[in-house]
Amino acid sequence: MITQEIKITNRLGLHARPAAMVSQTASNFDCDIKIAKDQVEINAKSIMGVMMLAAEYGSTLRLSFDGKDEKEACQALTKLFANKFNEEI
Amino acid sequence: MFVIKGIPASPGVAIGPAVLLPTADFAVANQHVDATEVKNEIGKFGRAVEKTLADLDANEKKLRETLGGEYANLMSMHKMIVQDPMLKDATVTKIKNEHLSAQAAIFQTLQELAASFDKVSDPFFKERRNDIFDVGKRLVGNLQENKGAFWASIRRPSVLIARDLFPSDTINLQENQIIGFCTDLGGKTSHTAILAQSLKLPAVVALSNAARQVKDGDTVIVDGENGLLIISPDRYTLARYKKTQREIKKAESLLQTINHLPTVTSDGRNFKLMVNFDPRTDTKENKKLITDGLGLLRTEFLYMNIPQPPSELEQYQIYLSTAKKFDMRPVTIRLADLGADKMPDFPLDEFDKDNNPFMGCRGIRLFLKNPDLMRTQLHAIVRTACEVPAQIKIMIPMVSSVEEVRHVRDALNQALAEFAKEGKKPVNKIALGAMIEVPAAAIALDGMIGDIDFLSIGTNDLIQYLIAVDRVNPEVAHMYDPCHPAVLRTIHQIIQTAHQRGRSVSICGEIASDVKMVPMLLGLEVDVLSVPPRMFLRIKNRIRNLNFEACSDTAQAALLASSSEEIRSLVEQMNQDEDS
Repeated sequence: MITQEIKITNRLGLHARPAAMVSQTASNFDCDIKIAKDQVEINAKSIMGVMMLAAEYGSTLRLSFDGKDEKEACQALTKLFANKFNEEI
Repeated sequence: MFVIKGIPASPGVAIGPAVLLPTADFAVANQHVDATEVKNEIGKFGRAVEKTLADLDANEKKLRETLGGEYANLMSMHKMIVQDPMLKDATVTKIKNEHLSAQAAIFQTLQELAASFDKVSDPFFKERRNDIFDVGKRLVGNLQENKGAFWASIRRPSVLIARDLFPSDTINLQENQIIGFCTDLGGKTSHTAILAQSLKLPAVVALSNAARQVKDGDTVIVDGENGLLIISPDRYTLARYKKTQREIKKAESLLQTINHLPTVTSDGRNFKLMVNFDPRTDTKENKKLITDGLGLLRTEFLYMNIPQPPSELEQYQIYLSTAKKFDMRPVTIRLADLGADKMPDFPLDEFDKDNNPFMGCRGIRLFLKNPDLMRTQLHAIVRTACEVPAQIKIMIPMVSSVEEVRHVRDALNQALAEFAKEGKKPVNKIALGAMIEVPAAAIALDGMIGDIDFLSIGTNDLIQYLIAVDRVNPEVAHMYDPCHPAVLRTIHQIIQTAHQRGRSVSICGEIASDVKMVPMLLGLEVDVLSVPPRMFLRIKNRIRNLNFEACSDTAQAALLASSSEEIRSLVEQMNQDEDS
């Protein structure tokens, strides 16, 4: 199992399009992926779950990956967040 | 015969037998099934998910072709919700453990999901519960295995009467022999209305209780021009509407032949005719129009339903793709007219709730109090102007004094200077203009005209402010009157003042696409009319059939008139003369 802390750096936070990108990317992997914010933990493959986090700019998320392809999954999601979902100049 | 008045949502006239859309019962609270049925119910749920996915796929494709990306993206988000593991797991667990029917299990799951969204304080995420319920209704609709039976039972061209319609229902209407529709709910700018317009289906919405007054098989007329539903019309009314239908058809075929011809009156006076462009509703039909440019790009939509203001890049991408569609023609972008009935969800600086919003902090007033918002929008516009050959024009809404114009000019110059440092420069000089909609700006226009490059009359608000009438207040709404002598005299004065200093004047409000008012506006010597795409060819045809000399005489007579009634009879006379 891998855990990873990530800070939201895109200005709009996890609104609809980034939420969709997170759950789509997560769904490409077999391992279990959870995202936690404050006291709430959700399944990263669920778009409703990701939106429910209402993660705004500057908030911190705790991602955990558990399964065969956990390394690849962690890399893919970390990259997505680091690129700010390709929405800023 | 019985007539109900609603809101015209899509023009045209449809005559035919009524069919009533049965309302799906969505909320079944606690419907239990036998233990032996559990497997069957889970199977039903699985098939409903598959069927819903297929529906959404088909709709996404159709929407991409007709209404463009934004609506199609909504469908792909719905697709993700249907496949969401949270929805699936919770529903299946409820069927297995509590022996709920598939429908009851879906309903309860959705309610729980919606409740967790309600706890979120951010209004953007709260809104998502509507998406969840949209998907839920579709799922439940697909559980009933005989769902297609209703549509299959329609054997002849019919008028659909419904309580409400989703855009995704609307898109399939024509295949099911529907020639027009009426709904109890909805508004003129709802997605359903916009879709009906692009499909050319006559529609009337907001009829409040039509669904209860019509019986299956009643002959009905949908008058999408005037917003009427006529139930069991008498012979005379039926004949009159059949004639109207023939006239509309004739006009449409004629219109196709004038697209490439210039906008010129019969006695040779040229006018410019532009479109009010909305990138969200750009259809194949619209792309065929040959226009003189984009007269009004409203930008408020960029600021709505998002948790934070749109970034420079987001705005730039939309302005760029829009400007490219108009090659070298003018593209007029109005700075966001936020405030009043268009309040964004994100918090604004120094903003308390307005008691009298239409006289409060809106348009340029709100931008001057939130300079970052203005700076970002100006930067996005300048960035666009550096990339495209189109002539970019910026229009300032709700101007009441010359100081406001100067503030924007300074901010624009600053933005230009910043781009110049990067070695970037607009392909064409950016023009800065004002929307004249506050009477003070109209009266003191001569003091402002030197600071602006062009101007546009915002007739909707100008009329409301001139007559001091709140269009939303039913007690006084009838006093809102484009034919009031003060309205025509003010428009005349604005145009004269502008022309003395060589500035052109455009009109982009509702009045510009009112076929009856066009002769009056031409007579007052407006330079540009900007109209919604669906009205474009109709207005062009009208102008081509008018005699400018005659329009001018009528306008002069109207300026001397002392009452709305006199002006209205001049307008009617002008239309009779031309129609014959």
